[in-house]
Amino acid sequence: MSWYVLQTVMGAVGSLGFAILFGVRDRKLIPITAGGALAWSVYLVSVHKIGTDMFMGLFAAALATTLLAELLARLVRTPVLLLLVPMLIPLIPGGDLYYMMDYFVRKSLHEFGAASKKVMTEAGAIAMGIIIGAYIATFAATLLKKVSVHHVR
Amino acid sequence: MESLQQHESPKEYETWMDANRVLAAILDIGELLLESGAEVMRVEDTITRLCQAYGFLRSDVFTITSSIVLTVQMEGGRVMTQTRRVWTRQTDLGAVEKLNALSREVCARRMPVELLNEKIEMIRTRKPAPFILTAACYAVISAVFSVFFGGNGYDAVTAAVSGIVLCLSLLVMSRMHVNAVIENMLCSAATAFAVMLMVRAGLGMHPDKIIIGNIMLLIPGIQLTTSLRDIFNEDMIAGLLGLAEAVLKALAIALGFAFVLIRMGG
Repeated sequence: MSWYVLQTVMGAVGSLGFAILFGVRDRKLIPITAGGALAWSVYLVSVHKIGTDMFMGLFAAALATTLLAELLARLVRTPVLLLLVPMLIPLIPGGDLYYMMDYFVRKSLHEFGAASKKVMTEAGAIAMGIIIGAYIATFAATLLKKVSVHHVR
Repeated sequence: MESLQQHESPKEYETWMDANRVLAAILDIGELLLESGAEVMRVEDTITRLCQAYGFLRSDVFTITSSIVLTVQMEGGRVMTQTRRVWTRQTDLGAVEKLNALSREVCARRMPVELLNEKIEMIRTRKPAPFILTAACYAVISAVFSVFFGGNGYDAVTAAVSGIVLCLSLLVMSRMHVNAVIENMLCSAATAFAVMLMVRAGLGMHPDKIIIGNIMLLIPGIQLTTSLRDIFNEDMIAGLLGLAEAVLKALAIALGFAFVLIRMGG
C-alpha cells in the first residue's frame, strides 16, 4: 500500500516537473500536480481494487483525467492541452517503450513483438480515454448552455 | 505585382496588400502554435476563427505536423493562398496559452495588423527558461521516474546526476545543429554511458530503472499518444506522420543506449 502511495506521489511530482519544463509558470501548477496524482491513483484503484486489466485501467485513468482537465480549463479559461498534457505524464508508457526498443536492438524479436503490441495498446487506450472524455465534456457544456438559456427565459 | 497595378485601381491594390499581411499574421499565429506543440485540430480551428474575425468570406486550412496551407476568399471573389513549412517542434505550453489568449482577443475585437504583429513578435521572442531551471527539472524528473518504475533511493540519485548529463548533452547538440535522429542517438548514448560509469562505481543498482527515468525525458511518449489521438480524430496524415516520427525517434534513442549497454555489459 505504501508503495502505491509513494508511486503516486512520484508520478505527481513528475507531472509538476514536466509542466515547468513545458513553460507553465503560475498557479496552474497546483491543479496539474493534483491531476497527475489523480491519473495514477485512478489507474491503481482500477487495476488493483476493481481488478480490471491494465488497458482498461489506463483508459479509465485517461478518461477521468481528461474530464478533470476539461472542467478546470473552462473554469480558469486556459487551453485544455496545457493542463492535460502534464497531467497524463504518469500514464505515458515510457518504461514499456524502453523495454520494447531494448528487445528490438538485442534481436529478441519474439519479445519485441509482444512488447510493441503492449505499448501500442497502452497508447491507444490512453488516446481513446482522452477522446471520449473530450466528447463527454463538449456534450455536457452544450447541454449546460441550453439549460441555462431556458432558465434565463 | 506590376501587372496587378496596371489592371486595378490603387484602392483595390491596397486592400489586396493589406489582406496579404493579415493572412501572414494569421499564419504566424498558426505556425507558432504548431511549433509549440498544439494539436493539429486546435491549429486549424484557431486559423479558421481568425479568418472569420478578419472578414474573409471563406477559409480553407489544411494542417499537418510539418506544414500549414491556408486559402481564403475575399470580397470581390479574389482568392489568396499562403503556405508555411514548420521545421521545429518543441513543447511550450506557456506559448500555446498566450497565443490562445491573443486569438480570443482578436476574435472578440479585431486589431490592426501592426499591433497584431507586435504581439506575435512578443510571444516569439520571449526569453527562454534559465538553464539552471531546466537542468533542475531534468534531475528531478529523472529521479522521480526511476523510483516510479521501481528503482530505489540510490538509483534516484544516480538518475538525477545522469539527468543533468542528458540536459547538458542536449544543450551541446542544439548548439551544433545536428539532425534530430543523430541528436537523440548521441544524447541517449551519453546518458547511458554516464549511468554505466556510476553503476560500476557502485552508486546505482538497477541500470534499466535509472535509464528509464532519463528516457522519460527523451522518449516520444506524448507524441505517440498525440498521434493516435490525431488518427482517432480522423487527422490521418498528421497522425501517421507523428507516429512514424515517434517510432524513428524511439529507435534512435534505443540504438544510442543499447550500443553503450552492450559494450559495457549492462
